[in-house]
Amino acid sequence: MRKKEKIVYKEKVNWRRELSLLPGYLIVSIWVLFTAVFLVWILAASLSTSREIFSGSVFKFETGLHFENYATAWKTQNVSVFFANSLLYAVVSCFFVILISAPAAYVLSRFGFKGSKQIRGGLILAMSIPEVMIVLPIFSLTTQWGIKGRILLILLYIFLRVPYTTTYLLNFFATLSKTYEEAAAIDGCPPGKTFWVIMLPLVQPAIVTVTIFNFLSVWNEFFMALIFASSADMTPVGVGLLQIVNSMKYTGNYGGLFAAVVIVFLPTFLLYIFLSEKIIAGVTGGGIKG
Amino acid sequence: MPPFLSEEVKKMKKNKAMIVGFILPCALTLLVMYLYPVLRTILMSFFAIDSVTADVGTWSFNGFGNYARIFGSATFLTSLSNMLKIWLVGGILVLTIALLFAVILTSGIRFKKFFRAAIYLPNVISAVALATMWIQYIYNQDYGLLNSMLEMVGLEGVKWLGTDTKFWAMLAAFVFGAVGYYMLIFISGIERIPQDLYEAATIDGANKFHQFFRITLPLLKGIIKTNLTFWSINTITFFLWSKMFSPISSEASTIVPVVYLYDTVFGSTGNAERDAGAGAAVGVVLAIFVGIIYLITSKFLKDDDLEF
Repeated sequence: MRKKEKIVYKEKVNWRRELSLLPGYLIVSIWVLFTAVFLVWILAASLSTSREIFSGSVFKFETGLHFENYATAWKTQNVSVFFANSLLYAVVSCFFVILISAPAAYVLSRFGFKGSKQIRGGLILAMSIPEVMIVLPIFSLTTQWGIKGRILLILLYIFLRVPYTTTYLLNFFATLSKTYEEAAAIDGCPPGKTFWVIMLPLVQPAIVTVTIFNFLSVWNEFFMALIFASSADMTPVGVGLLQIVNSMKYTGNYGGLFAAVVIVFLPTFLLYIFLSEKIIAGVTGGGIKG
Repeated sequence: MPPFLSEEVKKMKKNKAMIVGFILPCALTLLVMYLYPVLRTILMSFFAIDSVTADVGTWSFNGFGNYARIFGSATFLTSLSNMLKIWLVGGILVLTIALLFAVILTSGIRFKKFFRAAIYLPNVISAVALATMWIQYIYNQDYGLLNSMLEMVGLEGVKWLGTDTKFWAMLAAFVFGAVGYYMLIFISGIERIPQDLYEAATIDGANKFHQFFRITLPLLKGIIKTNLTFWSINTITFFLWSKMFSPISSEASTIVPVVYLYDTVFGSTGNAERDAGAGAAVGVVLAIFVGIIYLITSKFLKDDDLEF
């Protein structure tokens, strides 16, 4: 098919047209309203007592706002530890992933060398391999080699994000003009330095996007953490929340539970409020072929 | 040797050193994190291994014994059938709703960006938090949203997380969270269809439904293929929601293959017996499923993707 330009009309409010769209408005509004009620109720419940939650009077706040639910969750239910762990895992792995992936993506996209095709193919294959195919050997080897604790999860998260990050950045390096490197070479800049000083800053927007995705993915990760976080002090938020839920029948503190839920989803929620455009563009822009 | 040539050679050598240095960490990641573990998992699936940490020396060759064992296990077969139900029913629901939303959002409605962002939202928040909210709030028997709505219209509350309804409760919650992602991909596909096709169709008197079935749907073939592939792989590796809905011990109503694998390898409540070989076999079976799906979608659904 031929390439044709999209024609965009700017128009005034056309009520007849809006009316024809009414069913559409209704359907998506109901869905979004449901989401909103859902989240607002959780927020209200996190500020209520267990008694209020059970009597269905969450929005009345008859006994005031119970911010102490957050304090309880943070301190006695260990959420502070889970939260600090997740933050540590996400930040550190995001940094090292770029350190591994950006140079690799650069040479893969700009230099044809022996094995580059295999590595590109390997990266795509690695992204489609179910994690269950790799966890058993990794579990036995890391036990054998005595790698454990937080460092183990950080290493795993770095390696798990490398294929996606490298593939994502590949396309961006490929769009850069060769003249940058040529100019740098004429000025006597060694190729390695050219990359760090000139090329890497040029793909900064892509690095930001992919880092947001890496952050979300590590923050929300569950499967690896469930298997490899062997003690409470290395547990990230996902598995930590599951533990809180499982101990609920002993503690019975529903306000604290919902406060923990809010603490767990708030960081990524806030990130989304500010960066939703970038995130949405990233979902359909990079990783997807087709 | 002319001077400029030696310069060239020097430059190439410099490049070579850089290429090796730059690609090495990435290549090592592939070898250590993926290639070796995958090969070892395949190998493990043919050996009798009790503990996952057992020394290679203690492995004993078992042929297809592990495969025979898992396919003879009623629990594994149940988990497969649950997976199939999630794939089929969930797939129809998720892809239909996602396509419907995508069509609505591209039909020129106002606040498109807001709706799009709000529908995608569940994908960015922790799925554990999301599942906890569904279980502890929406489905709660005493104060949950569904039962309070039923009470409002004078109906009796339902025990949503009872054995009969648990699977469907889990599926509904999962579908709710998944729709946004597939919707975004559909939207990106629809937005690449040239607007003038619709204008021409409108002039020719085709209504919205005709336009959808004659223009949108046929031109979205490639995108539907992409979504179908992602959905299938998503279903095969389904784990978190099953674990959240049966957190302490796995139940027949919600068990899926990855949970079965987890229980077989790492043990479950009331079952101390572990079998890493059988677990590896489950992994291989699932990987083969993924492979088959890629094969089917790339071979049989011819790639007549949108190319404008």
